[in-house]
Amino acid sequence: MTKLKVEHLKKSFGNLEVLKDLNVEVQEGEVICIIGPSGSGKSTFLRCMNALEDITGGKVIIDDFDLTDPKQDINKVRENIGMVFQQFNLFPHLTVLDNITLAPKELKKESTEAINKRALELLETVGLSEKAADYPKSLSGGQKQRVAIARALAMNPDIMLFDEPTSALDPEMVGDVLEVMQKLADQGMTMLVVTHEMGFAKEVADRVIFMDGGYIVEEGKPEQLFNHPQHERTKNFLDKVLI
Amino acid sequence: MNLRKKSLFTIMTALLLTVIFTILLPTTASAQETDKTYIIGTDITFAPFEYKDADGEYKGIDVDLLDAIAKDQGFNYELRPLGFSAALQALETNQVDGMIAGMSITPERQDSFDFSEPYFESGVVMAVSADNDDITSYEDLEGKTVAIKVGTTGAAFAESIQEEYGFDVNTFEDSANMYEDVQTGNSDAAFEDYPVMAYAIQSGLKLKIPTDPEPGDNYGFAVNKDQNAELLEMFNNGLINIRANGTYDDILDTYLGETSQTETANLGFFGLIQQNGGELLKGLGRTLLLTITAFIIATILGVIFGLFSASPNKVLNWIATIYVDILRGIPLIVLAFFIYFSIPQFLNIQIPAYLAGVITLSLNTTAYIAELVRGGIQAVDNGQLEASRSLGLTYNTSMRKVVLPQAVKIMIPSFINQFVITLKDTSILSVIGIVELTQTGKIIIARTYSSGDMWLIVGLMYIIIITILTKFSNYLERRLSND
Repeated sequence: MTKLKVEHLKKSFGNLEVLKDLNVEVQEGEVICIIGPSGSGKSTFLRCMNALEDITGGKVIIDDFDLTDPKQDINKVRENIGMVFQQFNLFPHLTVLDNITLAPKELKKESTEAINKRALELLETVGLSEKAADYPKSLSGGQKQRVAIARALAMNPDIMLFDEPTSALDPEMVGDVLEVMQKLADQGMTMLVVTHEMGFAKEVADRVIFMDGGYIVEEGKPEQLFNHPQHERTKNFLDKVLI
Repeated sequence: MNLRKKSLFTIMTALLLTVIFTILLPTTASAQETDKTYIIGTDITFAPFEYKDADGEYKGIDVDLLDAIAKDQGFNYELRPLGFSAALQALETNQVDGMIAGMSITPERQDSFDFSEPYFESGVVMAVSADNDDITSYEDLEGKTVAIKVGTTGAAFAESIQEEYGFDVNTFEDSANMYEDVQTGNSDAAFEDYPVMAYAIQSGLKLKIPTDPEPGDNYGFAVNKDQNAELLEMFNNGLINIRANGTYDDILDTYLGETSQTETANLGFFGLIQQNGGELLKGLGRTLLLTITAFIIATILGVIFGLFSASPNKVLNWIATIYVDILRGIPLIVLAFFIYFSIPQFLNIQIPAYLAGVITLSLNTTAYIAELVRGGIQAVDNGQLEASRSLGLTYNTSMRKVVLPQAVKIMIPSFINQFVITLKDTSILSVIGIVELTQTGKIIIARTYSSGDMWLIVGLMYIIIITILTKFSNYLERRLSND
């Protein structure tokens, strides 16, 4: 079943056209990794999926909701799409538990007990049960990112967007975060991951998209794209990152 | 919001309400009276015609005459000491009904005002420092500097002979500063009405009068042109009566007679504090009340405008930008005059000085707080808003729950700074006659002629109160950031 459909997506910042006519279809439960050199537009593309960027042209349709329809209540759509940022963006004035429960408490009609219980379960899933009462400043980068994932999951989304989730981490922290993401993929979550972790892409992704210069240059199954790239630009990029 | 913050909020709200009622109640009360109460403007420092004595009561020839005439004619009045030029403007704009302030009847003034029969004959005289023997006539003023007080007959006379004798002028808003300028030697001479000058020297002012007074000027009570004719008539009738029954002569004798009691002068630093401590503390209290009232109002409005200018809505941005640009572009003193004199004239209403002061200070401070709030919001990493919005929270909820709690912590030091600035700015409101700390100082100087020590005392009081407030705020800031 089609979960997300992108048709002729265009995005400009002033005179600078960053995305030029993108077309993508994502099935439910699919894990898509988006790779490409910096400046290729992959983060902008991801941020268009929950309208953090204003869409200049084309359509983004999630389930039956058209994101580009001005009458669409964007907040309702976002409740269904979790997002994880490169810089974590945890709320520094709230405890780990309050970071996770803030949105459900504001938006969901559940009891505080139920919301807290679910938040603690999520913390257990990411392996940080003992940190519930701590403030973000006392956590390591990897721990922060795992809390950020739990926070995004607290609204029970059925799509997760990851914007270079491991790029700001020390190398020894990367594994823990990728492990949580792998677990999520195994549970059947629909995921779009912008990443430089080629190992993760090879192992976990159902499909890999290579972007360059605002276009999708090539897409395919990981073994096909990594082992038999069709385009010169894909080959050049892979030569540089796969040593 | 925890308990401590909640109780602080409650106290602030209660304080705000109290202040609003204090401002509003007197107006409501007077509006209910059937008999009209005439508002009479006067000078703050023009002894022996009007000055405040050590008990805080206004006294002087003008004050006593007005009172005797009002009793004789049976009308109610309220005396409002505004300063001479401020009182003139207030009369022109119908902020006051009449004015008595040792005011000479001149043809120019008769164009704008209707005068009573003359109640006192005076004349302009020149005064120089007591140890100055170089200036014995107007000819000696060549190349010298002369101190004058804005809008007075003395000033008009000095200006009329300025070209002939070739001197420069320094202008002042009140007599005490004009005298002080001559005593310290910045100016070489001053021009003042003879009885005032004579009284001041008798009271211990170290000046002397080297020449004879100019031929007389007549003082009159004034109302605005073609306004309050009945008040003018009552004044004239009353004046005839008190001249007939001897009250008039008694009053003049009290202040100008050989045996008249003058206020003591040259008290020294500690004597001044001892004699005027209560009055100074009252002035300080009014300064604080003005500051706190204006700051609370400005905080509410400033946060609204700050949110406007940080909002993604272009129209709201514009509203905030226009407000901030206009209010930051007007000097506080001009804004005070505009609100106190211009607005009442345009709208034909009366605004009490205290209310005008609060409005002035609030509008001005709002502009700075709006900028401070915008800065605080923009200092919060944009990723915070994005993370919050990506969870499905609305812009308003995101501001309230995520951005503002962080922005407030960033803003606290600037808020404290702005509070100190606003507190000091209250001194500017003395120009519209509000008796806050600076004006209290001016009034005491007008009575004691001791500007040197008095400004030192007033300055120290500002420093002490601001230091205490800053330390207290720093303590609050530490408590908040530990939360």
